[in-house]
Amino acid sequence: MTAILSVLQLLIFPAGIFLILISCIYEWLDRRLVAQFQNRVGPRWFQPLADILKLLSKEEIVPISVNRTLFILLPIFAFACVMTAALYVPMFGMESVIGYPGDLIITMYLLSAMTVSLGMAGANSMNRFAVVGATRTLTQLFAYEGPFMLALLIPALVAHSWEIDDVAIYASNHTWMILTYPIGFAIALIGLIGKLELSPFDAPEAESEIVSGVLSEYSGRGLALFHIAKNVELVVGLALISAFYLGGIGNLLFFTIKTLALLMLISLLQSTLTRLRIDQTVGLWWQIGALLSLGQLLIIILARIL
Amino acid sequence: MSDINQTTGAALQKKKYIVPIGPQHPALKEPGHFEFTVEGEIVVDASIRLGYVHRGVEKAAESRNWTQVLYLVERVCGICSHSHGTAFIQCAEKLAGVELPPRAKAVRCIAGEIERLHSHLLWLGVAAHEGGFDALFMYSWRDREIVMDILENFFGNRVNYSVNIPGGVKEDITQEFIDGISPDLDYLEERMKFYLDLINTDVTFRMRTVNIGKISYDESASLGATGPTARASGIQRDIRVDRPYDGYDLFPITLVTDDRGDLNARFIVRIKECLKSIEYIRHVMAHIPEGELTTKMPRKIPAGEYMASVEAPRGELFYFVRSNGTEMPDRVKIRTASLCNWGTIVSSVAKGHRLADMPMILAGIDPCFSCNDRMVKINFGNRNPEIWTWDQLRKYGNNFYK
Repeated sequence: MTAILSVLQLLIFPAGIFLILISCIYEWLDRRLVAQFQNRVGPRWFQPLADILKLLSKEEIVPISVNRTLFILLPIFAFACVMTAALYVPMFGMESVIGYPGDLIITMYLLSAMTVSLGMAGANSMNRFAVVGATRTLTQLFAYEGPFMLALLIPALVAHSWEIDDVAIYASNHTWMILTYPIGFAIALIGLIGKLELSPFDAPEAESEIVSGVLSEYSGRGLALFHIAKNVELVVGLALISAFYLGGIGNLLFFTIKTLALLMLISLLQSTLTRLRIDQTVGLWWQIGALLSLGQLLIIILARIL
Repeated sequence: MSDINQTTGAALQKKKYIVPIGPQHPALKEPGHFEFTVEGEIVVDASIRLGYVHRGVEKAAESRNWTQVLYLVERVCGICSHSHGTAFIQCAEKLAGVELPPRAKAVRCIAGEIERLHSHLLWLGVAAHEGGFDALFMYSWRDREIVMDILENFFGNRVNYSVNIPGGVKEDITQEFIDGISPDLDYLEERMKFYLDLINTDVTFRMRTVNIGKISYDESASLGATGPTARASGIQRDIRVDRPYDGYDLFPITLVTDDRGDLNARFIVRIKECLKSIEYIRHVMAHIPEGELTTKMPRKIPAGEYMASVEAPRGELFYFVRSNGTEMPDRVKIRTASLCNWGTIVSSVAKGHRLADMPMILAGIDPCFSCNDRMVKINFGNRNPEIWTWDQLRKYGNNFYK
């Protein structure tokens, strides 16, 4: 019975099909909000879903020069990574499906593995735009990953637990950590933008320079899977930040309100900032982001000692 | 020996990592081919290949009468169509010895300045998009629609509005026009001030434009840059001021320069030019001279040669026209502003910059691809490449594409 339940949880709810559909709604909201901020109309509500269905039904063209196995497996791997990560994160006002001490590290590892597989997908290709995109994706990974990880570890340190649910329960019983640790929140949110390669950190897929970056040669199913993976990553990231910094698990209504508020903030940043060059991205993260998150960490440690 | 060869070979291979941009690429709105040799992200060499949209306009002009050619040359470039028409018809009028009535001159000036407004707004959007600032792109193109509406309402078309006719203009500046355009100009002025403020203050935008694509005064002068590209490097070069044509001698205009020479300066120069244009349109409308709109123009233009230059939104647009006394021009030579400005990218600016800056630097000169593609130069072997008859050229062309 438990086995069937686990399979259902993995494939239908809360991960699996349900999450994919919800992530399409989030992508639509993001695109729609950015469009509204930019004085445009934006897509209709079913557009992301329609895009994915269309891509899934199309032929996948495998270029001659690539490693065929890797080319086909990498999108599946990336998709599997984020879907697994979704199981560890409390979403829709419920506790996470699986939870054990240290699952925070696993989640962050899985989210990074998705980015790494994107980078590998680009490096696998002979396409020059994809190769440049791959170097940029991986460079950017090294830029934001440290500060982003620290920003997610801050609540864990405060709560004395590396289990996501414990941290979330601690967060719901105390003052919202966005108020007590605003720097950590800002870095986590901006780190998420970097992770999702959205503007202003969209140098890895800057269309006016390198067409579509690592995904230049992907079509059909592979492209669809990468798209789904990114959408799900958006939801997982938002859920993680809202559970840590915005007062824990809450219920379905609060989850929706909090994540949508975060999404709005991300869309606003996306539409008001110019794309940064990759060297500027790295510079900003290491010169400002890393220092700030280390400073925040230092404050916590000092406060604990004193 | 073989070791040396191998190492140099490997070094060469490592060195030559070429990122091609074009002929089809999302950054390009028209076909052109650029090859950037990069080391990591740094561009070490750049080359350019144009000629994908050669349409043979100059040859076509030789088999049409003067009025038809006027409409033909307006189609050389959709964005500066009025400038092309003006430059061509100036040559014809000068050859025929026709003096324009002052009111027609003023109308031509107003049309030219409205064209400059819409061209600079279009450029602002494209350049912002190349830099990844889509909000500015959408906003400026929304504002450009106002200018397009003005053009449509008063000149009949959004592009290729054909204000000029031989010996005058076809549209009058009526009181209705002045009343209609005034609130739009006020709004545009407000928006332009907003954009100027944004370009000077937005932190991320300044990170992408300040000290990027810098061309010094000397470089710009020696490479023969024209238009806002040259003026952004501090060169005092503007045909409207240097050799006033049409109504610019009746209503003088002052030029806008900036001496920093980087991308940011080019943004500022163009936006300030827009503000200047708005001011100028208001001034001319308030003081427009009374009189006729057209004069009599002969069907046959007396034999002779004439050269005319017009300050198009992108820089100096040059026309050479030769007449043999018939109803058709004998030769029409066009040299557009973009062709003068390409050199500034390939020879000096590109090297040393990052790949990510390239689209913005390319867009910085406001390139227009299809109006470049004039000349056919065939270069092969030791045969004299210059002298080719039309039949030889056709034969070569047929064989080439066989």
